[in-house]
Amino acid sequence: MKRNTVVLGVTMALLALFAWAGWANWIWRQQRAEQLLANAAKATLVPDANGGSPHYDSPLQGKPAPSFALEDLSGHKVQLENFRGKAILLNFWATWCGPCRIETPWLVELRNQYAAQGFEVVGISTEGEDLKPDDKAGQARQHDAVKKFVEIMKVPYPMLLGGDVLAQTYGGLDSMPTSFYLDKNGVVVAVQLGITSKAEIEASILKAMGK
Amino acid sequence: MNRRMIFAVAILFFAATAWAQFINEHGPQLQPGKTAAVEFLAPDQVSVPAAKPTKVLLHFRVQPGLHINSHTPHDEFLIPTVFSIPDGKGVRLESVSYPPGRDFVLPADPTKKLNVYTGYFVLDALLVAAPGEHVVEAKLRFQACDQSQCMPPKTIPITVVVTGK
Repeated sequence: MKRNTVVLGVTMALLALFAWAGWANWIWRQQRAEQLLANAAKATLVPDANGGSPHYDSPLQGKPAPSFALEDLSGHKVQLENFRGKAILLNFWATWCGPCRIETPWLVELRNQYAAQGFEVVGISTEGEDLKPDDKAGQARQHDAVKKFVEIMKVPYPMLLGGDVLAQTYGGLDSMPTSFYLDKNGVVVAVQLGITSKAEIEASILKAMGK
Repeated sequence: MNRRMIFAVAILFFAATAWAQFINEHGPQLQPGKTAAVEFLAPDQVSVPAAKPTKVLLHFRVQPGLHINSHTPHDEFLIPTVFSIPDGKGVRLESVSYPPGRDFVLPADPTKKLNVYTGYFVLDALLVAAPGEHVVEAKLRFQACDQSQCMPPKTIPITVVVTGK
């Protein structure tokens, strides 16, 4: 009887250990798969073959931009497909990002300059791991901060919230600003990580517009 | 026979466990992990008079090529560097004296001044410890950038063993 109890106890302990090992491993594999997916889409800086400035090469380049549906500041769902037929600059940015604040007035000017020719900027606020999806108070503060930013900068283009959910499909989004330039068919024609210059942004816009 | 069965089942269990731990390394390789933008240098442990406010110097280093906002950035949208200690750990943080940041401009816009910490910096924390040894899990929140891009805000743990004597 006593021996049976010991055997049963050891067996239960072993089973619990197996269950824990399997669960921990499954969680680890899931996290790794997410990381691999994000890294698979991550852009990398490559030298220019013709001796020009280095440029970012993204696995998304030449492919349709991953679709999404995010809320704007009014709470309306906005889909990427809503902009089909226009050349698009998808600008992932954050309120805490200094370079984003520098480039936003350039984006506003370029958007106003080329909007009549079928160009649009779509701003996507992407705050990072500090802001959890279930943090309602934090989300509200974030909404207010983005709204204030939009008002101060007189941003005329759509501003979407919650870009963190696109981190996997858009290559990690672990630095801001990150911009994707899409042609009128929604295909990614250029990617930019970090701030460059208004002239470089304009060149990529013209490329997206097919000019 | 019975023993053979038990032996076979045991082998199967261990094989299954070994398989569960197997990691497929033949897929795309991860990029090497990035170094943390800010590193806590010292102290790991400190002794202070019990129940008496005492200054403790906390030493940090920002990785080369990066900067973090100072405690008083010039822009309301930027995230300041903040040191904190959760309540109820036997050690109370009375106040923190932050070093002044240095003005810094990005090449993209030399007219816009940021106020940042770069390289080595020291925080002067005023602590009050109860008698005894306390493992304090403090936090440093900061937001780091390089010359052209910024990383999301981060909070790192700062572990210090504080002994109140």
